[in-house]
Amino acid sequence: MAIHRHDNHKSANALMEWVDKRFPATKVWNEHLAEYMAAKNFNFWYFFGSLAILMLVVQIATGIFLTMHYKPDAELAFASVEYIMRDVPFGWLVRYLHAIGASMFFVVIYLHMFRGVIYGSHREPRELVWLIGCVIFVALMAEAFMGYLLPWGNMSYWGAQVILSLFDVIPFVGPALTEWIRGDFVISDATLNRFFAFHVILLPLILVALVFLHLVALHQVGSNNPDGIDIYDNVDDDGKPLDGVAFFPYIVIKDLIGVAAFLIVYLGVVFFWPDGGGVLLEKDNFAPANPLQTPPDIVPLWYFTPYYSILRASTTSLLFALQIITGVIVLWLWLRAKISLIAKVAFTGLAVCVFAGLVFGSGKAWGVILMAAAIVCFFLLPWLDRSPVLSVRYRSLPFKIALAFFLVAFFILGYLGMNAPTPGKTLLAQICTVVYFAFFALMPWFTSIGKTKPEPTRVTYEAH
Amino acid sequence: MKKLSVLLVTLISTVVIGSSAFAAGGHGAAVDEVHMNMSDKASLQNGAKLFVNYCLSCHSAEYSRYNRVAEDLDIPLWQLKENLMFTTEKEGDLMKTTMPAEDAKKWFGVTPPDLSLVARVRKPAWIYTYLRAFYQDESSPSGWNNSLFENVAMPHALYELQGVQRKVGKADLESHGPIDAHAASDAVGEQRVVGDTVFELQHPGKLSPAEFDKAMADLTSFLSYMAEPAQLKRKTIGVYTIAFLIILMLLCIVLKAEYWRDVH
Amino acid sequence: MADNNVSDVNADGMSVEDQKRRRFLTGITAGFGAVGVGVAVVPFVMTMSPSERAKNAGAPVQYDFSRIQEGQMVKVEWRGKPVVLLKRTSEMMAGLDAIKGSLADPDSVSSAQPSYAQNNQRADFGKPELLVMEGVCTHLGCSPVEKLAIGPDPQMGDDSQGGFFCPCHGSKFDLAGRVYKNVPATTNMAVPPYKFEGSVITIGEDDGRTA
Repeated sequence: MAIHRHDNHKSANALMEWVDKRFPATKVWNEHLAEYMAAKNFNFWYFFGSLAILMLVVQIATGIFLTMHYKPDAELAFASVEYIMRDVPFGWLVRYLHAIGASMFFVVIYLHMFRGVIYGSHREPRELVWLIGCVIFVALMAEAFMGYLLPWGNMSYWGAQVILSLFDVIPFVGPALTEWIRGDFVISDATLNRFFAFHVILLPLILVALVFLHLVALHQVGSNNPDGIDIYDNVDDDGKPLDGVAFFPYIVIKDLIGVAAFLIVYLGVVFFWPDGGGVLLEKDNFAPANPLQTPPDIVPLWYFTPYYSILRASTTSLLFALQIITGVIVLWLWLRAKISLIAKVAFTGLAVCVFAGLVFGSGKAWGVILMAAAIVCFFLLPWLDRSPVLSVRYRSLPFKIALAFFLVAFFILGYLGMNAPTPGKTLLAQICTVVYFAFFALMPWFTSIGKTKPEPTRVTYEAH
Repeated sequence: MKKLSVLLVTLISTVVIGSSAFAAGGHGAAVDEVHMNMSDKASLQNGAKLFVNYCLSCHSAEYSRYNRVAEDLDIPLWQLKENLMFTTEKEGDLMKTTMPAEDAKKWFGVTPPDLSLVARVRKPAWIYTYLRAFYQDESSPSGWNNSLFENVAMPHALYELQGVQRKVGKADLESHGPIDAHAASDAVGEQRVVGDTVFELQHPGKLSPAEFDKAMADLTSFLSYMAEPAQLKRKTIGVYTIAFLIILMLLCIVLKAEYWRDVH
Repeated sequence: MADNNVSDVNADGMSVEDQKRRRFLTGITAGFGAVGVGVAVVPFVMTMSPSERAKNAGAPVQYDFSRIQEGQMVKVEWRGKPVVLLKRTSEMMAGLDAIKGSLADPDSVSSAQPSYAQNNQRADFGKPELLVMEGVCTHLGCSPVEKLAIGPDPQMGDDSQGGFFCPCHGSKFDLAGRVYKNVPATTNMAVPPYKFEGSVITIGEDDGRTA
C-alpha cells in the first residue's frame, strides 16, 4: 500500500487504474506482497524458501543458454559440453553455474525441508503446503537425475544405468518398463534424447506449476514462524496481526541479505572450487561415456547418496533384522498397545504380509522398496507428528533426541553413499537405515511423550 | 534448538571435508606431489612445447585450440606457428594428432586417449608420477613398462630426455620417510624413488633427473591448464564478484536495519 | 499497542530526515543491485556471440593467386561465402569505363568495400587487375553467375562488357561487381578485406590498412 498511496504521478495512477479494471495487478500485489502478513520473528531458516525460487530461476536462465550450444546426441554430447567450456564465450561460467547450481538447489531444498520439520510447518493447517513441497522434491530429483545424463560422461552413463535398473524389480512389467524408458536395450542415444526433452521441457514446466501451487497453498493458510504459534491469535482493530509485518517491503528486504550471503557461497564455489573436491563435478565424468567400463569410484551425486546407501544396505542380514523388528512390533501390539481388537487384527495382518515379503522377497527388490519408502516417509510427516506444539523451541526432549539421531543417521548414510562399500561400512549403513525408518515409525510415540514447554502467546522478538 | 544447529553444522562440515578428501584422494596409489603455478607462464610454455613435441604425435587434445593456448600462455603467433603447429596450418584449429586412430590401435593395441581432459580425470600428482615411472622391461610388447600403471600400452615417449631406467624394487616408504627426488645426480647406477618404486638409471638422457622432474612438472602444469583453460580467468573474475557481493550484502544489512526500525 | 502496528509508523509517521535517509539507502542499494544484475547479464549475452569454433571457421583464408591465368576466375570459400578472384584482362579493365553511365552506384558510394577498393576497378591499386569480391548478390543473397565474355549475351544484353548475372531475380553486375541501373539489387557486390604477401592473398584480414 505504501507504494500506491504515495504515488504522486497522476498519469501512473491513471495507468494503474486502467490496468486494474482489466487485470487484478494491484489486488494481487497487495494480497500476496504488500498486505501478506508474515511473522516478524523470522530467522535465517526462512531465507531458504526465497532462495529456492532464486535457484529455480537461475537454473532455468542458465539452462536456456546451455541449450543454445548443447547437442543431445550420443556422438556429440560430450564434445558439445567441452565446446561450451572452451569455445563459447563465458560458456564455462554458465555451465558451472548450472552444474553447481543443481547442488546448491538441493542444499537449499534440504535446509528448507529441515526448517519445516523443526518449526512444525508441515502440521495443520499447512499439510498441503508440505505435500506439494514433497512432490516438488521428487520432481526435482527426477530433474537432477535426467540432467546428470546429459553431459554423457562415464558417470552420467553408469549412473543412469544403475538407477534405471531399479525399475527391473517391479514384478512382471519391470524389464519391459525399463526397456521402454530407455527406448533401447542399453542406455543409448534414444535415452539421451528423451532425457533431454524431459529435462528441458517437461520437468521444468511441472516444477514451475508445482511451485505456483506451493505458494498458493501457503498464502491460503499463512506462513508459520519459529515459535509455531498463529500470529492471527493477536490482531489489532483492523484485523491485522500485531506480530506480523508486510511481506513487502520488510521480509523482502530481509531476504535480500540472505540472497547476497547465499550468492557469496554459491559463486564462491563456482569461481574458486568448481569441482568441489570431486563431489560437485566428479572426475570420472570428465571421461566420455564408455559402455564397456564402469568407473571404479561409481557413486551418485551427494544429494542422492542417503537413499542410495539405504538401497545398498538391503542385504539378507538387514532383511533378517527387519523380520525380527516386525515380530517385536506384533508382540508389543498384543501385549501393550491400547487400541481396539479390530485394529490389532488389521495391523497383525499387515505385519504378516510384510514378514512374508521379507522372507521370500529378494534383497534387491527390498532395496528399491526401502529406498522409495525412505522418500514416501516425508509425505507422511504431518500425520506421524503428534506433538501438541509445533516449534522445536517448545518440544519435548524425546523429540529432540530422536531428531538428533535421525540427523546423524541421515548424514552417515549420505557419507557412506559416497564411498565404496566395505563389510564394516555396510553394517553401519544398515544400522543407520534402521534408525532412519525408526524415526518415522516411532514418531507418533515419541512426539506424544515427554514434557513440552508452554508456548508463548506472542512471538519471541526483540527489536534491534 | 541451539544444540541441534550445532549438530547440523558439525555434521555438514564433517561430511563435506570427509567426502571431498575421499573424492580427491581416490585410490591410494603412492604418487609424488607436484608443484604447479598457473601464473608461471614460462613453465606452462615449456609444458606446451613438450606436449606438442612428445605427446601430440600420438595423442590428441581435440577440444583445445592452438590460438587459445598461445593467447592464454602469452606465446606470440609467429612462435606458435614455428614451434608448436606441426599438424595443421590454421592457428584456430583443434590440436588433433596426425596419427590415424586405426593405425594407432594396430600399433599399440589401444587408441591413445585424448588428453584435453586428462588432468581432470587423473590428479596432477598421478600424471607427474606416471610420466617419470617408465622403465625398461623386455617382457612387455613395447619394451617399456610403468610402475604406476602396470602393463600400460604406451611406450616411454620421453626416454631421450629421461634416459633409460631399470626397476630395482618397491621402496620402503615408511622407513625412508619422504624422499627428495631432486637429490639424485645423473650418474649411471644412481638410485632414485618415483612413487613407491626404486629405479636405477642405466643410460642418462639429455636432461639430468632434476631437470627432467622440472620438465615433467611443466608438462603436468600444462595438462592441468588444458583441462580447464577457464581457470586462468575464473579466479580473477571471482575476486571482483565476491567483493561486489560483500558490499551488496552490507548495504542490504543497513537497508534492512533502516526499514525494520518500523518494527517494534 | 499502536507502536506494534507497522502501518501506523510507516512512512506516514516518519520525520522528513528519516524519509530522506530511507529513500537514500533504498536508492543506493537498488542502484548497486541493478549494476550487479546488469553486469551479470553480460556473460549470458556474450555466450551468443560467435564462438572460437565459428571464428576459426571464419578465419582468414589464403590463396596463391599466381596460379590464376589472365582472364580466369576462381572461387574461394571464406566464412561460408564464395569469394571471387578474377584476374581481369586489359580489355576487361577498359570495359569498366565504357559502361559507367548505366551503373546504379559507379563510385561505390553506398556499397560495402574497404577504402582501398573504393575506386573504378574496385580493387587494390597495387594489383588493380585482380578483383576480390564476395560472390553474393546484394538483392537477396544468391550467387551470381559469371559472364566473362565481352559481347552480346542473352542475359547481359547486346553490348555486354562482361559481368555477373544473378539467376534468382535477374540483377546484373559488371566485372567490378558494380550493379546496373534498373535491376532488383541496388548496391554493388561487397569486397572483403584482403592483403598481399608476395603472390599469396589473405582474404578476411587487412591489418586495418586503408590503402
